[in-house]
Formats: sequence, C-alpha cells, structure tokens
Amino acid sequence: MKAKVSGFGIFYLSLFFVVLYLPVLSVVLYSFNASSSTAQWTGWTLDWYRQLFSDRVIAQAFRVSIQVAVLTALLSAVLGTFTAVISLWVTNRTKKAIQGMMILPLIVPEVALGVSLLFFFNALRLPFGILTLVLSHSLFCVPYVYIMVRLRLQEIDVSIIESALDLGASRRQMVRTIILPLVAPSIVTAALLCLAMSLDDVIISTYMSGPRSTTLPVHIFSMMRVGVTPKVNALCSLILMGTFLIIGFSQLITKKRRFS
Amino acid sequence: MKTWKRNLLAVPILVWIGLLVGIPMVLVVALSFLSRDHLGNIVYQFTLDNYRRVLDPIYLRVFLNSLLLALLTGLITLLVGYPVAYITSNLPPRRRALALGLIMLPFWISSLLRTYGWMILLGNAGLINNVLLALKIIDKPLPMMYKFSTSLVGTAYMLMPFMIVAVFNSVDKLDRSLLEASYDLGASKWKTFFHITVPLTLPGIAGGFTLVFIPALGLYFVSDLLGGGNTVFLGNLIHTMATRGRNRPLAAAFSMGMIALVLMVLSLYMKASKDRTGEGLFQ
Repeated sequence: MKAKVSGFGIFYLSLFFVVLYLPVLSVVLYSFNASSSTAQWTGWTLDWYRQLFSDRVIAQAFRVSIQVAVLTALLSAVLGTFTAVISLWVTNRTKKAIQGMMILPLIVPEVALGVSLLFFFNALRLPFGILTLVLSHSLFCVPYVYIMVRLRLQEIDVSIIESALDLGASRRQMVRTIILPLVAPSIVTAALLCLAMSLDDVIISTYMSGPRSTTLPVHIFSMMRVGVTPKVNALCSLILMGTFLIIGFSQLITKKRRFS
Repeated sequence: MKTWKRNLLAVPILVWIGLLVGIPMVLVVALSFLSRDHLGNIVYQFTLDNYRRVLDPIYLRVFLNSLLLALLTGLITLLVGYPVAYITSNLPPRRRALALGLIMLPFWISSLLRTYGWMILLGNAGLINNVLLALKIIDKPLPMMYKFSTSLVGTAYMLMPFMIVAVFNSVDKLDRSLLEASYDLGASKWKTFFHITVPLTLPGIAGGFTLVFIPALGLYFVSDLLGGGNTVFLGNLIHTMATRGRNRPLAAAFSMGMIALVLMVLSLYMKASKDRTGEGLFQ
C-alpha cells in the first residue's frame, strides 16, 4: 500500500514544475517580442527568426553540429552495442574491467577530460575539427549506449540464446538474427540520446573546435556572453523544437517496443 | 572458444578507452610537472612549481569556491529534489508517469537554453524585476545577476534532474510495509521518516549527491553567464589557463586537483552505498 499524496504534496510538486519550466518558457516567449530588450513587451514579431535565417555564421555552425552529432551517434551506437553484446562472452574479470572503464568518462569532470584531449590531440598534431569533435563526443556517448543496450540484454530470456546455439546457429548468426533485432529499439533510443547530447555539448566542444568548425552551442555561448538578445531567444527556441522532434521520435520507438 | 580468444573481443573498447582517456590522462599528469617559457611553450623540465601555485592562497580560494558551490548544489538539489522524488513515487500510475516525464524532459533540453532562461528571469530588465516593478512592490530593479548565489541557482537548476532520478529509484524500491510497521508501533510520521525512510534511501541520496557534485565542479559556462566571472571557479580557471592564458602545465595541475576532489567524493559514495564499482550511479 502506498501512502496517499496530500494536497500540500500536490501543491509542492506543481510549484516545482512551474519553476522547472519557467526559464524555458520565458526564453520562447521573448523570442516573439518586438522590442530588443526584455524591459518591455512591444508586441509580437517573427523578425528575430527571419534574422536567423540570413545569418551565415549560424548556418555554418549548424552544419558542423549536425555532421558531428550524426557521426557521433553512429560511431557510439556501433561501439556501445558491440561492447554490450560481447560482454555476454568475455570472462567475468574482463566484463568487470569493461564496466569500470565505461564509467570512467562519466565520472571525470568534462573540463578535465577536455583539457586532457586538448593536450593529446595537440601532441599528435591532429587538426582540430570534425574528427576531434566526433572522437571527444563519443567519449560521453558510448557509455550510455552500452548501459542502455546492456539493460535490454538483461531482460532477454537466456534460454532463447541457448536454444539457438543448440540448434546449430553460429554465434554470428545468433547475434544477427536474434540479439540485434531484440535490442534494436534500445540502440535507436540511445543513438537519439547521443544525438541530443552531442548537439548540446559546450564544454568539450570549446576545446575541440577548429577555426572553421565551431559547433552551434559554442557559437551560441559566445553570443550569450554579450548579453540577452532576442536573436539568441529565437535560435534557442528553434533548437528546442528540434529537440522535441527527436524526443517524439524516440517515444514512438519505445511505444512500438512495448506492443511487440 | 578458448578463454583468451573470447577476451580478444574486448580489444576495440580497450583501444578506444586507452586512446581517449588513458593516454590523455597520463599526459595531464606528466604535464602538471613541467614548466613553460614566457611565450607559453612547454619546457621539458621537472618542477613542482605548478602544485606549489595550486596551494597559493589566491588559487586555494578558487578551490574553496568550487568546493562550496558543489557542496551547496548537492545540498539544495537534495532538499528540493527529495520531496519531489518522494511525492512522485506515491502518485497514482497515470500522474506518476506524467510527473516522471516532466522530471526527465530537461535532460533533453539544451543546457545553454536553460541557463539563458535564468538570465532573462533575473536580469535588471528581466521578467521578475518587471513584474515586481509593475506591481509596485519595488521601485528600483533588484540586482540579482552576477553573484555567487546566481551561479548557485543556475548550477542547482541544471543538475536537479540527476538528483531526483537517483533518489526516486531508491524511494521507489522502499518496502512500504516497514513504514506501516513503524506507524503501528507508534512512531510519528517524522520519526518514521528520519529513522526508516532516510537510512533506507541513503544509497539514492549518496548516488544523487555524487552525480550532482561532479559536474557542479566543472560547469563553467553556467558560472560564466550567470556569475559574470565575479567569483572564479575551478572550471573557469582551468579553461582560461588552457586556452587564452596559455599556461597548460598549471591547467594540468588544477585538473589533477579537480580529479582529486572527485575521487574523494566517489570514495565517500562507495562507502555510503556499498557500490564497489560505481556502476549503480548510472542505472
């Protein structure tokens, strides 16, 4: 039996959600303000959105961000899934070692991670750009794919795998025909999360961006440092819309999974 | 298959981690003991100067600022987030799913946007000041930006979902019959809460605290935008040293200091939650 939630509990929860979403909503609201200052509301406008579409720097940064995010999601999906699946066969000690290593990029603060990669790629004389961005973003994405796919693998009935092997399927066949179809929804959801995380990253990207390969968040950060302008609001609102599209897509996939 | 052959499958991930975390971290350690010339180029000469400078009172202050920010962030997210997790877990199924969705949604929303939202709310010409001025509660805008507390609000806001999810997972597993037994034996609500609920959800509290504390040390863009650089934190300092300041050895030494703080908190977490690998943090 669960305790009933009191009226005060509901009030507290509602108040919390109002505070949680107020900053987000005010960004969207002021993107439609005709005045360039938040001091007054002078009417509705779409001018700030129009200005965005004629801004070449933003367009370029957007292209870089999308390229990096898609490549990161693909790389992370492959590497993370591979690691989760092979965990079924390696010895227990190796499995423990893999688990420990996967936690590593998540517990080292991003600033320290970024600085260390900066030194490393510098020493290798690797040009900073798409490649360094994708490699560094994969660092915080692969662990999530690994964790999500492994959680799904734990739900799978082991007897299915065993009977496939008993019936003479090779490991490769078994992975392709049984395991991958079963974990596919988790892979897609995890890849979408990678997409969102890569598109949002500021800290590591600041170190990894090259002269012609600034990502969108790095550019937005430099715009925000100057102060509040409705153009930033409009840009942020558009990104928010994009994020909601990604979430809607991932919801669709998890729903499907539930019914199959 | 032979055992060693099976373990060979782990090679790709070993290479990936070794290349992107292992070697770079070794480099940071090595670099923290090197010097630099006045142009910022690295000189290959062993020195302990960087660590001596980390302990310099001025820089020690930065450590304390960051430590304070991270600790207070942990405390605030716990005090605000624990009730949210607790209430959510007691809700009827439909409302509970809705509340959980609303708690998780911010994970997907751009962190820059969420920081920027506070600039719009708290600025001198911001929403809160506008409303208070219009209601004639104040006659001059309240200065709320560019303070330590502004950075604190922003950082706590950013990391709140991590705390709630961690606490929720352990509150939800709580065996409610224990609470009823406690009531039946005559314990009050508060006594039951502090003697039964809190100790049983301690792993969640410790996990949430760790998950909030670590990023709070390094979220430099939040303190940069909301704090205006008036209080210097570790993240800002390392960032400046490594890029514009061109003092990479010192940046490396500060990174080591930051990692030391993280290890301290992690070992506390492992003690409190009995989670040996730290894996419970990300389930």
